[in-house]
Amino acid sequence: MQDFKNKLLNYEQEPPPEIWERINTELDTSDHKTSPIRGFRRRSKLVFYGITAAASLIIIFLLSVVFDGSKENNGDNNSLASTETGKGNSVSQNTKDSIKLNNKTLEDIIKSSKDNKLIAQNYRGASNQLKKYITISGPSGQPVKISPKVATLIVSADNEYPPKPVWNKKIEKWKQIMLNTTLSPTSTNLLDIAQLTSNLDNNE
Amino acid sequence: MNGQSNHTPSESDLIQGCINGDRQMQELLYKRFSSKMYGVCLRYSGSADDANDLLQEGFIKIYKNLGKFRGEGSFEGWIRRIFVNTAIEHFRKKVKLYNVSEVQESTMEDTDISVLDKLAVKDIIVLVNELAPGYKTIFNMHVIEGYSHKEIAEILGINEGTSKSQLARAKGVLKKSLDKMINKTTNDTINN
Repeated sequence: MQDFKNKLLNYEQEPPPEIWERINTELDTSDHKTSPIRGFRRRSKLVFYGITAAASLIIIFLLSVVFDGSKENNGDNNSLASTETGKGNSVSQNTKDSIKLNNKTLEDIIKSSKDNKLIAQNYRGASNQLKKYITISGPSGQPVKISPKVATLIVSADNEYPPKPVWNKKIEKWKQIMLNTTLSPTSTNLLDIAQLTSNLDNNE
Repeated sequence: MNGQSNHTPSESDLIQGCINGDRQMQELLYKRFSSKMYGVCLRYSGSADDANDLLQEGFIKIYKNLGKFRGEGSFEGWIRRIFVNTAIEHFRKKVKLYNVSEVQESTMEDTDISVLDKLAVKDIIVLVNELAPGYKTIFNMHVIEGYSHKEIAEILGINEGTSKSQLARAKGVLKKSLDKMINKTTNDTINN
């Protein structure tokens, strides 16, 4: 057994002479062509450029969406400011009426917190569009859309009446979470709205 | 320079020369190892054409990867391993080995092929080359190169049991071929 194994292991045979020629030719061509590693690098570069291009397109698209949104907001703000000063005519009468109505609705909700059926009453009379959101003026005068649910929460944030222990706990927990986060407060978050509510209460 | 080209370069000079792309050194390396490695290629491949392709592919790999040789172990061993791996890659592209169950494996009896010792190496090569590619690879790896079944299983991506059963079958086929060869030789002698 060991004998034939050794015979096979040490078996030698002269290869045909053209093999070296073939190797020689391949070495010549591979000297000029890119080696597999270079080829791999070239492929990686292409993949890298492709990914970069795709990422850039996505970023450009997202930025355009964000800037469009902020442009619209700025437009609204400007329009609102211009209405207040009586200079601008760009905001349609509909929008102005809608904001006015919404502000009034919110004020009614807050003022009439003892009547827990008020929200439903106010919204029963409102149009479908108005049922979805209430637009109020933010601290800087910008329009802020809030849902009726948030309006209910604002009412519920008042600990006086009607007593809502479950909601109060939830809101308290929410406040704590938001206070502990590193998120910077904006005009649309709950704390601002709660602050707005208390300001309105104080103004009363 | 002329004096240098007449003497046989040391192994490290040969390696360094090949790394530097010195074609003369590359040819010297080829001349030094081609016969042995051609033997390896012939054992693993089914035909002379395949063996030629393997030899060419193996040497190109060696020239391109010489920088990775760290001098641990023998240089010839490193070269042989590259050739065996090249042959295995070649084989893996062509043949799919199916895993077999333990039951099949246990029914395989080990065949005594020690009679091969009495044959000339060329006859043994002919017999081994008659094996199916899967059998031949495992026979070469286990019996000749000394890989364990576990190593073969890892390299070829098969079960250890499959490696064992394929080897047992390879030995069985070899035994049959040997018997045929012996009978033929005997008949020829009687007829003459």
